Amino acid sequence: MKQFIVLFITLAALIAALLIGCTDSAPTAPAIGLGNSTITKYVAIGNSLTAGYQSAGLYESAQIYSYPNLIAQQLRKAGANIGSFEQPIFSDPGTPDPITGKASRYEIISLVGPVIGPKGLTAGSPTNSTLSRPYDNLGIPGIPLAGFMDSTGTYQSPPLGRDVILRWTTNALLGKSVFKQVATLNAMGQTPDLVTFWLGANDVLGFAVSGGTSPNAPTDVATFSSLYGKALDALRTTLPNAKIVVGNIPDVTSIPFFTTVNPLAAPQIPAPYYLRYQKHGTLGMSFDSTKLTEANAPLITLKGQAYAALLGQATGQFWRDAAALKGTTIAALYPTLAGAGIDTTKPFGFHPQNPWPDALILDADEIATATSAVNNFNSVIATAAAALTHNALVVDFNSFFNNVKAHGLNIAGERYTADYISGDIFSLDGVHPSDRGYGIVANEYIKVINAYYGMNIPLVDVSTLPKLSAPLSKGKNGKIDPLLPFGAFNSLDLLFRPSVQ
Amino acid sequence: MRLYSQHLLGTIVLSALVVFIALGGGFQLNEHGARAMAQGGAFAARADDPSAIYFNPAGLGFQGSSVYLGTTFIMPKITFYGPTDISTTKETKMVDQTFTPINIYGTYELTDNIHIGIGVNNPYGLGTEWPAHWIGQTKTQKTDLASYFITPTIAYKVSDQFSIGAGFNYVTGKVTMKIATPIPFDAPLPIVNLDLSATGVGFNAGLIYKFIPDLSLGISYRSSVKLDASGTAKFDPNYTILALPNGDATASITLPATGFVGVACGVTKNLEVEADYQYVGWSSYKELAIGFKADPTKNEVMTKNYQDTYILRLGAEYTINNVQLRAGYLYDHSPVLTEYVDPMLPDANRNGYNVGIGYKICERWRVDASYFFLKFDQRKAVNTVINFDGIYNMTATLIGIDIGYTF
Repeated sequence: MKQFIVLFITLAALIAALLIGCTDSAPTAPAIGLGNSTITKYVAIGNSLTAGYQSAGLYESAQIYSYPNLIAQQLRKAGANIGSFEQPIFSDPGTPDPITGKASRYEIISLVGPVIGPKGLTAGSPTNSTLSRPYDNLGIPGIPLAGFMDSTGTYQSPPLGRDVILRWTTNALLGKSVFKQVATLNAMGQTPDLVTFWLGANDVLGFAVSGGTSPNAPTDVATFSSLYGKALDALRTTLPNAKIVVGNIPDVTSIPFFTTVNPLAAPQIPAPYYLRYQKHGTLGMSFDSTKLTEANAPLITLKGQAYAALLGQATGQFWRDAAALKGTTIAALYPTLAGAGIDTTKPFGFHPQNPWPDALILDADEIATATSAVNNFNSVIATAAAALTHNALVVDFNSFFNNVKAHGLNIAGERYTADYISGDIFSLDGVHPSDRGYGIVANEYIKVINAYYGMNIPLVDVSTLPKLSAPLSKGKNGKIDPLLPFGAFNSLDLLFRPSVQ
Repeated sequence: MRLYSQHLLGTIVLSALVVFIALGGGFQLNEHGARAMAQGGAFAARADDPSAIYFNPAGLGFQGSSVYLGTTFIMPKITFYGPTDISTTKETKMVDQTFTPINIYGTYELTDNIHIGIGVNNPYGLGTEWPAHWIGQTKTQKTDLASYFITPTIAYKVSDQFSIGAGFNYVTGKVTMKIATPIPFDAPLPIVNLDLSATGVGFNAGLIYKFIPDLSLGISYRSSVKLDASGTAKFDPNYTILALPNGDATASITLPATGFVGVACGVTKNLEVEADYQYVGWSSYKELAIGFKADPTKNEVMTKNYQDTYILRLGAEYTINNVQLRAGYLYDHSPVLTEYVDPMLPDANRNGYNVGIGYKICERWRVDASYFFLKFDQRKAVNTVINFDGIYNMTATLIGIDIGYTF
């Protein structure tokens, strides 16, 4: 028996020694790094998307997940010695709503509904305003392309004034325009060698988000073309050796701000009714009909979600809210409405005299206008980038988000879609990405940079970024159809308006 | 009588070691006796110990009365690198577990021609457990499948050259799974704990024909067994607001049919060799469908799309007095297509290397031990339907021990 055990162990050990040595080795990957390049300074130029704006507010716990900040972190991992990446941080709960003065940030207040809106919290304040140099994140919520070179304050955009980021009131040296900030960095010897430039969305988004009312047209393409060329040329002249990466403009109808409400509102329009709504640029009885289910149906915006519940009722709720927003009274507003033929005793949205308001819907013509503007702007961007000395790389966000809308996205086995709340890409305002959404945006930049420059900057591990927070412990058996307040996203409307009245 | 009580004691001791969980090819196990295992599992043409109840019931026809029982210690190691879209080198090691499928066989020579037997073993089982909150937690956290086959068997020795046999399989199965449910909110993901069990029936049959005493042919077939499992699903944490489908749950799995064709040859007086071809009807495993009674809209169908496949087995046994030296090799072709490789049961083509030894302690008692190293080809999961690509490195070490008693 003893020989048996000894023999067996000897045999087994022999085979084990032979075979365990032949196990597979761990896979190897190309070394993380910047290839033959060096990056010592990264600056991000853009609008609210670049600032890290989320859920109708700019606030610290979202800003730390802005795509420029995420890119900066990944650059460091790849060995880029870029020092600190400074952003104009607003402490939570963030920037104020210019109308209420309270924090404008939207949160999921309850998952029953769920109820989504601002919590009425006291706004936060800037925590980094004494920085003695320009910020590295020069994303300014609300600015259109024209805001890049402008130094007159014309494009000051509430609720977040450009002055807070550009700080011309506190540090005149930094200069009023975004471009001047870049030039100042250069003059200070902190020359950016990587610049991301993502402007232009607001030249069409303001039009779209306001249902084609404010402004009532996108920037015209000739103006856009001229501004874009000038912007890139100015950057190239100041930064002859910088790597410049531009983002193009996503199709506005690919975002949940425009795709969420139609499926919720359609069942509210029972036969024989149709949705009667104001067409583009009309205030009065001009209307069109739709079931919201046909091809080329107009898109009710997320702002209109609360009003959809009032379809068929005799109500002037929207006009009352509009009056309140303008600081006037219903009485003062009603003569105007009556003059335009509006009669709020008629069923809202079903009667020609009480039509669904233009400001809450993007009709087929407006969709066509917005789509055509996006396509034209993107052609301009492609041409300008290719024509620039040393080129600029283009990140094709238009294709990317169209693809997300059509097919969703899978990352590390997790599913992401363009759906409101459940999709994990967009924040509660339905326009701006969420933390994970910004991680996805950062990765699109990194992929383009890696491919062109032969770098291997690691991608952001999106699965480690926070999702939307929600009070999961409260309530029972909710239905995940959003319940937004009347007058939802007024601050967004103002965000995209070129100037404050 | 003393020997009987020893046998009883042995049974109790070995049974106590047994966990109702096991892991093996696909989730098939082919280690049902240390002697066969040491010979690459090439045993259907001889089936000359009580594990014939599994490999080929016709083998009972040429045997006397005996008891054979033991266990196999299975120690798989799996390392996952990925998921590719985040990192091709990020490493996650599967939690180490040891599985111990059992085999207990008893045979009895009723008449010279009619032989009966009964077996209890675990022909199907699997277990994978990944670290808590690992990156693939929405694919799988922990999975255990166990099956117990109780197989009363009868064999009829037609002549000294030819025997046929058949068995009835009473099968109990148990599935436990933990999978994280994706939710779009910043909170610990609810983990569904599925606890399901089932019973089913199947049969097996086989024949052995000895052309000459030193050359035999064995053919054996084991039917598929359908298990309609039911039990409970429990979500933890259970966010009532999300109306997760707690309560009754179901799943259905068909254990595949398998068949052996083997040829055995006595090369010299002391050396026997055998080569087997085993067919496995894995195409029965198209999907794993979990049903939730509380909310059928949340039913989950995991597509597996396994393919029918085969295993090639070679074995040899060399006898020196009361010691038998054994060696074997097997090639197990994976039933899993590249795009269906998943961490619930990562699989790859395998080469198995076996050695073993048998020792006849005295006229009635014997002991068999086997060592088995299973080397999986490195598996690259690409364009997977679950969108979870990566590389799996896998090995398994198995040690089998059986004792036998001949009446």
